[in-house]
Amino acid sequence: MRSSALDKGLRTGVIFGIVIVTMFLIGFTVTGAGLVGKIFGVSSSYSTPSLVYFSLFMILIGVWAGASASSRPLVEADTWKRALTAGTSAGAVSGLFSAVVGFIFGELIANKIDPRTYLPSVSPESIQLFLFNQSPLTGSLMLFAVLTASGLAAAALFFFLRNNDSVKSSARKASESVWGTIRSERVVGIAQNKYTRYAALLAFAAILIILPRTWGGYWNYVFGTVGIYIILGLGLNIITGWAGQLVIGYVAFFAVGAYTFALLTAPEPHHLMMNFWVALGLGVLAAGISGLLIGLPILNLRGDYLAIVTLGFAEIIRILLKSDLMTPYTAGPRGIRDIAGPSLFGKSFTSDVDFMYLIIIAVLVVTFLANRLQNSRTGKAWFAINLDETVARATGVNAFASKLLALSLSAAVAGLAGVLFASRNQFSGPDDHALMVSINVICLVIVGGIGNIPGVFLGAFALKGLPEILRETENYRLLIFGVLLIVMMRLRPEGFLPARRPELEKAAVQNPLGEEA
Amino acid sequence: MAAAVAIPSITKRRHYFMDKPTSTSTQLRLRLERYIRMFAGIVIGVFLLWRVYNVIVLQQNFGADTWVRFGLSGLILGGMYALIAIGYTLVYGIMFMINFAHGEVMMLGAFGGFFTFEILRFIPAPTIANPDLNFLNAHPFLSVFLAFLVGIFISAMAGYFLERIAYRPLRKAPRLILLITAIGASIFLQNLAMLLFGPQRKNVVNPDILDRGAGWIVNVSGNDVLISYTGVFSLVLSTLLMIGLYILVQRTKLGRAMRAVASDKNTASLMGVDVDDVISKTFIISGALAGAAGVMWGIHMGLVNHYTGFLPGIKAFTAAVMGGIGNIPGAMLGGMLLGVVEAIGPAAVGIDFQLKDVIAFSILVLVLIVRPSGILGEKLSEEKL
Repeated sequence: MRSSALDKGLRTGVIFGIVIVTMFLIGFTVTGAGLVGKIFGVSSSYSTPSLVYFSLFMILIGVWAGASASSRPLVEADTWKRALTAGTSAGAVSGLFSAVVGFIFGELIANKIDPRTYLPSVSPESIQLFLFNQSPLTGSLMLFAVLTASGLAAAALFFFLRNNDSVKSSARKASESVWGTIRSERVVGIAQNKYTRYAALLAFAAILIILPRTWGGYWNYVFGTVGIYIILGLGLNIITGWAGQLVIGYVAFFAVGAYTFALLTAPEPHHLMMNFWVALGLGVLAAGISGLLIGLPILNLRGDYLAIVTLGFAEIIRILLKSDLMTPYTAGPRGIRDIAGPSLFGKSFTSDVDFMYLIIIAVLVVTFLANRLQNSRTGKAWFAINLDETVARATGVNAFASKLLALSLSAAVAGLAGVLFASRNQFSGPDDHALMVSINVICLVIVGGIGNIPGVFLGAFALKGLPEILRETENYRLLIFGVLLIVMMRLRPEGFLPARRPELEKAAVQNPLGEEA
Repeated sequence: MAAAVAIPSITKRRHYFMDKPTSTSTQLRLRLERYIRMFAGIVIGVFLLWRVYNVIVLQQNFGADTWVRFGLSGLILGGMYALIAIGYTLVYGIMFMINFAHGEVMMLGAFGGFFTFEILRFIPAPTIANPDLNFLNAHPFLSVFLAFLVGIFISAMAGYFLERIAYRPLRKAPRLILLITAIGASIFLQNLAMLLFGPQRKNVVNPDILDRGAGWIVNVSGNDVLISYTGVFSLVLSTLLMIGLYILVQRTKLGRAMRAVASDKNTASLMGVDVDDVISKTFIISGALAGAAGVMWGIHMGLVNHYTGFLPGIKAFTAAVMGGIGNIPGAMLGGMLLGVVEAIGPAAVGIDFQLKDVIAFSILVLVLIVRPSGILGEKLSEEKL
């Protein structure tokens, strides 16, 4: 009989081995090493990172493999032997995978065969780095050794931390003291004090007013984008988070808003040159109406259809905008230029600072409205539909009308975001409205916490702000989004900041069908 | 004896309540809705017919040869759509989920065929007459067979692992979560392929006898129409695969198990059907069909990249909905129909050829407005609707 420790180690090792090999094949080993370097404050965006950082990166992966293989077993006793066997075998198997692949590619390079014809991400530099700048044989042996050793070390370390009484008790003491301070009456009293709250609000407002002036153009641009995505996320949250209907082609409404606004204010192709505020209203209205029209035929059917039809609608809009047929009306693939900025009493506000303020105001307004909606009767109807449509109907909720309202409201919010986007860039082209925008928005709503307003903020900062800081991951952003979606759905489908609903609703979520176990 | 009598009467009463909505206003609304749908369908249909009549009979921009050409390429395309659509329908019938990553599974199959051809092209197989001959041209039939084998294997494995890793842990989760996972898998596979193989399109080099310009030449109303070998090959192969699948589903034990799981999972498992196993096999079968379609796509269209699967995937879903989702003959019919409509449509309605992708999506929207259950679909039960 094979021991279960070895079994688990082998399985974990195979998974980690495949992950390492895939990372190598898509060139992520170089990027990952660069990221490790960045943690230590070395900015090496466009040069090959040094060996030290690459080794650290590999050791990190080995430690992860060893730790997850040697984690506390469910049934058996947690012994030294078991932990070490699992950790070492996991490290060794993943090391074997990497070593074999490294050796093959090392030999290829040595024989002057360039793998980039078919695998464009595998550059000679990345192979060199993968083999620690050694010959293929030495390099792959080193790779094997590093991964095995780090798997072993991780297993030992985590076993020690897990089973050592003094470590355990000191960790408990530390966490107790931190939580104790936070929950102590004095701290809670200060936090709940009316004046403290006013002060916090004031400080927050001051930050919002001062920061755009001191940041400079680049950060205003980045956080302007984050703001626009917060608005988009809040809009999508209405239909997807609260009413529970997935809309994949959300970008369609964004495009309707942006293009309505652009056509109404730009000198070409129609020379309407409307006032900013009037055009803003019309853009939002047009997006809302388009949501209503899309929803009318399909919201009676089950949810999946809505997802695909909106996806189709988004593609139709993008193809139409690009086609020759619509070029006289929408300027075709060139896009619309010289879109108006906001103006008030004859004075125009078009600098990046003014736009940042405009976006901040829009975010605040939308947040306020969303918050009011959430607690309204309509919001409760949406929750009811989300939990169980049949029951909601039976209790007197007009499901169709509620869903239609949710869709057109979230379309209108997307229209607002589109107007702001077009006006800030002073340009609106078909490629600004690719499907990627919707996928970004879906990701940020889900990662942040579906159905939760602070979650949308967190998601927008994490998914649109963070990649600006970690510029190396540019090419891998979508790949990471895909993995993130799958992993989140499996481990934490409610997001990082889950929505807090009243206790009754929560109980209903956990056990939707009563006693069907 | 009394109990045996009591059971039917209870079920009868339940049916009475379920079938007839008691409220007259609901009945009125449903009837009104049906009339509105019918009216909209008739208006759109008349408009389209008028438009087609205008273009074909009055304007006569294209000769008969052009229509034959369009029709042929439509049938070929339709065969591939049908193969992919079957995958959607099979999975939908069993799990009630849209396997959004299905198009990407097809793309992986296309890459499998492409790389098989590339490898075989590098294997020398010299003969006395021709010393430069490579394996691909020395044994073209074997090469094509190998390409299909590899493509089908890769796609079937992709389908299997997709289900094992991404979908199985969520068996009991709400549908929205499954759909989001499927979208995540789609994004992941697409970008993985892009990072692995690069974003540019790759030329699929066929064996010489399956050259894309070669074929039978038929004379239609004074003009030559080329019926390419690759096209005929694809059409024949897709038809054979569809017949094979139909036999598999209708005549074999696995097929019966699949139908049982599709109609009721719990009862099927009580009757001794291993539900997990059947679902796994369904994903393998649908992946294999998508893989075959992908290799065909490479051989017939000649270009492969990471984006290859996306649009065919969505269009095949449209085809599945058009035929009636969950219904296998419906998916075949819908795929063929969609292919033909897409090929003939732009010319027949007199719009730009750039807009041919718009047609598929418009059809999807129209089908959902006029007849949500599809052409061959029955009225869907509450759970599936």
